[in-house]
Amino acid sequence: MHDIIKGNPHVLEGLEKLCTGKKAIQHTQDSFGNAFHWFLLDEPALIVEAAKILHDPGARLAMISAYAVRGDDKKFQNACYEFVLEGTVYNVTAHMDEQHPDVPSITPIFANADWHEREMMELFGIKITNHPNPRRLFLDEELDKGMLAKTVPLSVMMNGASSSELWEMILSDKGEKA
Amino acid sequence: MSKTFNLPLGPVHVALEEPVYFNLDVEGETIRKVDITSGHVHRGMEAMAMQRNLIKNTTLTERVCSLCSNSHSFTYCMSVENALGMTVPRRARYLRVLAEEIKRIASHLFNTAIQAHIIGFKSLFMHVMEVREIIQDVKESVYGNRMNLAANCIGGVKYDVNGEYITYILNQIDRLEPQVSEIRDIYSSNHNVLARTKGIGILPKEDAIRLGVVGPVARGSGVMNDVRKESPYAAYTELEFKSFTREAGCVYSRTQVRLDEVLESFNIVRQVCKNLPDGPLKTPMNAIPVTQACARSEAPRGEVFYYIRTNGTDIPERLKWRVPSYMNWEALGVMMRDCAVADSALIANSIDPCVSCTER
Repeated sequence: MHDIIKGNPHVLEGLEKLCTGKKAIQHTQDSFGNAFHWFLLDEPALIVEAAKILHDPGARLAMISAYAVRGDDKKFQNACYEFVLEGTVYNVTAHMDEQHPDVPSITPIFANADWHEREMMELFGIKITNHPNPRRLFLDEELDKGMLAKTVPLSVMMNGASSSELWEMILSDKGEKA
Repeated sequence: MSKTFNLPLGPVHVALEEPVYFNLDVEGETIRKVDITSGHVHRGMEAMAMQRNLIKNTTLTERVCSLCSNSHSFTYCMSVENALGMTVPRRARYLRVLAEEIKRIASHLFNTAIQAHIIGFKSLFMHVMEVREIIQDVKESVYGNRMNLAANCIGGVKYDVNGEYITYILNQIDRLEPQVSEIRDIYSSNHNVLARTKGIGILPKEDAIRLGVVGPVARGSGVMNDVRKESPYAAYTELEFKSFTREAGCVYSRTQVRLDEVLESFNIVRQVCKNLPDGPLKTPMNAIPVTQACARSEAPRGEVFYYIRTNGTDIPERLKWRVPSYMNWEALGVMMRDCAVADSALIANSIDPCVSCTER
């Protein structure tokens, strides 16, 4: 099978063992013949093992894309980890649900996962365990987690921007009355 | 007994006029630890992209970054084409490479000029910027704009060049080449430049691999990861060109890689102009399936990566991208350690940082 699918046979075999679900594995290529492999892990905790399989032959973590998926009237979180090895892209997806609400950090294996995982935490509110540096990346600590998953009505934003609330706060901090 | 002090640097005017904040632990004049705080220009662009249709997002993604603007719309279009199973016509693939290499020349020359500015070599700064105007004129004449070229669309390109334009581009390249060669000689021989760049801000190869850095930052530390070579796209499959690495991993190495690449881009532009095939400029869009796809390309600063999920409608369910600077910031922690505080702006500039595109 692997002689017609471009990629590292050791990595493909290793990842296949972690993805036993229906349609959990897909192989695609673009119009230039560059290969892309897609794996959906049986459970999020397996990402550590998948990362080790890719780290050993020298893969590079290129990106982690977090996104929300809907199913049975509920929202779930997914995180697609994109690795590059010898010109081939390996996409490994972790699916978080009620049974498995969090995903372990792979920063101890791929140092450059640090920023990606912190971004996932602050924009999508994904729970990441064992992260060595779980601080905010871009957003201020005062903002709620998972901002990207929320809808803030424009009227709420505009009210905040045009009211005297901020000015009154500053004055009250200084002990003065508005 | 030595004592460490805390020195805030930024968030404005660190190297470029873009805000990023460095929290430096210094011992005398020497930096011991670097902590980076960013997020001052987070624009929520990915959230915006998920409210626009696929065609509108070509315009939006071109505005992620200024100097890499073409690489964003280009890679975004490739990700959509991969999702929709489209094959771009051959002429369009060549024209995409033309826009990309013209942008690379302008971007690398800009970074090189800013380096002279930070060193305090104002006449060199002005000279490089003046030489860069030759390629800026090409952008303005061919694309009608000096920054955002609006060259790409889903399925191909939005512009064409005729024989007259090709002659003009080739003449401009002929004017540029000797001047850029001379600039490279100045950067590799001038005492003032060498004293500030050689052996400064070292990123060892093992750290470059560990941190997954990309582009000239990686190649300046001996790590070859040029996407154009690694997984060729557009017309790079048919063009002959070299990729360059340097082993020293210092500010000087990264500058030399960029200047080598500018000269190689002239070669690529000439090949494109000479071999430009006839044919259509774009192919119509296919039906939008429920799928996911990704695409990557080599922008001036390194690998750009796009991920798209479609749900059968013309609004993407998720569009995510990662810019080269995103991977390179953390390397500053290694580069600045044990360097002089006075070199921090110079070292920050050597990764060719882009704050706006990092934070989106």
